Amino acid sequence: MRCRYLLIWIVCVGVNLLFLLPFQTAKTVIGAEPSKLELFEALMCEDIFANAPRNPTAVFSIKRKKAVFFTSFSTVPQKLIIYHNWYHRDVPSAKIRLTLKPPRWSTYSSIELNKSDIGPWRVEITDESGNVLEVLRFSVTE
Amino acid sequence: MEKILLFISTIRWQDVVDISVNSYILFRFYVLFRGTNVFQVLVGMTVLWFLQRIAVSLGLIVTSWVVQGIVAVGAIIIIVVFRNEIRRVLQAKNLKSILWGLSYKTTTTPTEIIADTVFQMAARRCGALIVFPGKEDLSGLVQGGTPWKGLITKEMIASIFWPENPVHDGAAIVQGDQITFVGTILPLSERDDLPSRYGTRHRAALGLAEASDAMVIVVSEERGDVLIAKGNRLREIKQKQTLENNIREHVGTGAVEKRAARKEGLEITAAAMLSILFITGIWFSVSRGQDTLVSLDIPIDYINRAAGTEIVDTSVKSVSLVLSGSGALVKSITPDQVGVRLDLSKTTVGRNTFTLTSDNVSLPPGIVLREVTPSEIDVLIDETIKKKLPVQIDWVGKLSDNLILVDSVINPAQVEVSGSKRILEDIVTIYTEKVLLDELSGEGEISANLVLSPASLKIASGSKDKVTIQYLIRERE
Repeated sequence: MRCRYLLIWIVCVGVNLLFLLPFQTAKTVIGAEPSKLELFEALMCEDIFANAPRNPTAVFSIKRKKAVFFTSFSTVPQKLIIYHNWYHRDVPSAKIRLTLKPPRWSTYSSIELNKSDIGPWRVEITDESGNVLEVLRFSVTE
Repeated sequence: MEKILLFISTIRWQDVVDISVNSYILFRFYVLFRGTNVFQVLVGMTVLWFLQRIAVSLGLIVTSWVVQGIVAVGAIIIIVVFRNEIRRVLQAKNLKSILWGLSYKTTTTPTEIIADTVFQMAARRCGALIVFPGKEDLSGLVQGGTPWKGLITKEMIASIFWPENPVHDGAAIVQGDQITFVGTILPLSERDDLPSRYGTRHRAALGLAEASDAMVIVVSEERGDVLIAKGNRLREIKQKQTLENNIREHVGTGAVEKRAARKEGLEITAAAMLSILFITGIWFSVSRGQDTLVSLDIPIDYINRAAGTEIVDTSVKSVSLVLSGSGALVKSITPDQVGVRLDLSKTTVGRNTFTLTSDNVSLPPGIVLREVTPSEIDVLIDETIKKKLPVQIDWVGKLSDNLILVDSVINPAQVEVSGSKRILEDIVTIYTEKVLLDELSGEGEISANLVLSPASLKIASGSKDKVTIQYLIRERE
């Protein structure tokens, strides 16, 4: 992975964030059995405040300094590794390794924004095997 | 001999048509305008044009400019000054005679008009002296005279010999269908055996007839007789028909007509030959003149690509052609007249190598291909596939600091794109054109075109090349 790692302000706080979430219906179900990993929510936001995403959006101004990808899993059967893969104009920019712990887990990663980041982005969640669980798209503007 | 045969083999049927058509146009110009002032001016202009070409070839810059200017202005002057003459020529002739017909000039003597007028003058006792020269030159025998050059008509003959006319006492000289001189003084006969009734006019007629092979008609003013003087004889003519026969016999009208027709035929044949020679000369100077080389960069045109395939890459986009031909032709070449075509009908998926030959190059007539660089072209052909790809909005600009784009929905979220397999394999997203945020607020719907890069990609039939974007913007918390 490029030197993007140096520029990204990576917050791998999966271990620190374990929420008791008001779970309703899971957004994405991996496998039919309840013991499988279930993604409840994935969104782009400007910040995390009180362990919750703040100002969800699909457009980030570089003035706001960072973009946050927040993911929440309603079912985590066991300790697992997932990845947040960031792409700028379809070019891999960062791959963040995050650990999930049972029974539920929320985690996020973020990138620090500067002028060279202006343009369309996408971020994917993949499991250890590389299966894509969700894709989100956003833009970085002036 | 071999060289001549080789040269003849290079002449195409188009060249023959080219020369023939232009020779005929030149020949028709001659036929239509011969004898007019326009023709003389056209000849002058042609001479000037040749002078200009010579001046150019000798490097006489100012001279060539001046002559060129005169020719250019002269062309306008011809049309303006001779517009009536040109109109007369074109109006007087129908389309057939403009394109095909030949008009012969008639210069035969109108014997009937002369005989008729002579007897009318005799009846009015109006004296007259009319000379019909033979083959001998009369310039040493006759004196004075006024050039006339008028076509013979009854009125003209009568007016010349009208007693009030200052020239009525002299002789009128007839040549062909014209009265060339009037008021001419003829030598007097010195014979002393002439009847006393003959006056000076009779002596003058006989004087010239004795001294030359001319025939002279005398109309007696006092007696109203008509006489013909030829050789040593002076005889009276009573009948108009006799006079007419005598004139015809002297001027040999039938023979003259044949001679004139033969002369005309020769003149027209010579003009036709000269037209062919002239145009052939121009054609040679233009198409087979001095060899000049020129180098042109021409893009390659790929044709007959098999369905379901497309060109992914080529080793070159254009080739450099070295062409030769006459200076005039080479200077007039424009890149759109030259084409390089490569037939892809027998290609396979993958890398294909072609060798360019003259068969791949189309050139204007008279231009020869000397060299192609590079002569080998690699063309990478790939299979065309279709792929469904997600569409992503390319937001640009900025919202006000207090606003935030909460949601945006794109419709359709996916489009099907066709293109080279190799290219499409690496493409995972289709972006919209740049969508400006600055003027957006609240919620609404906008449309945006899709941007396909590289340009070889196409939206598959059934998919739209435009998407609609529903957005929701709220105030920041």
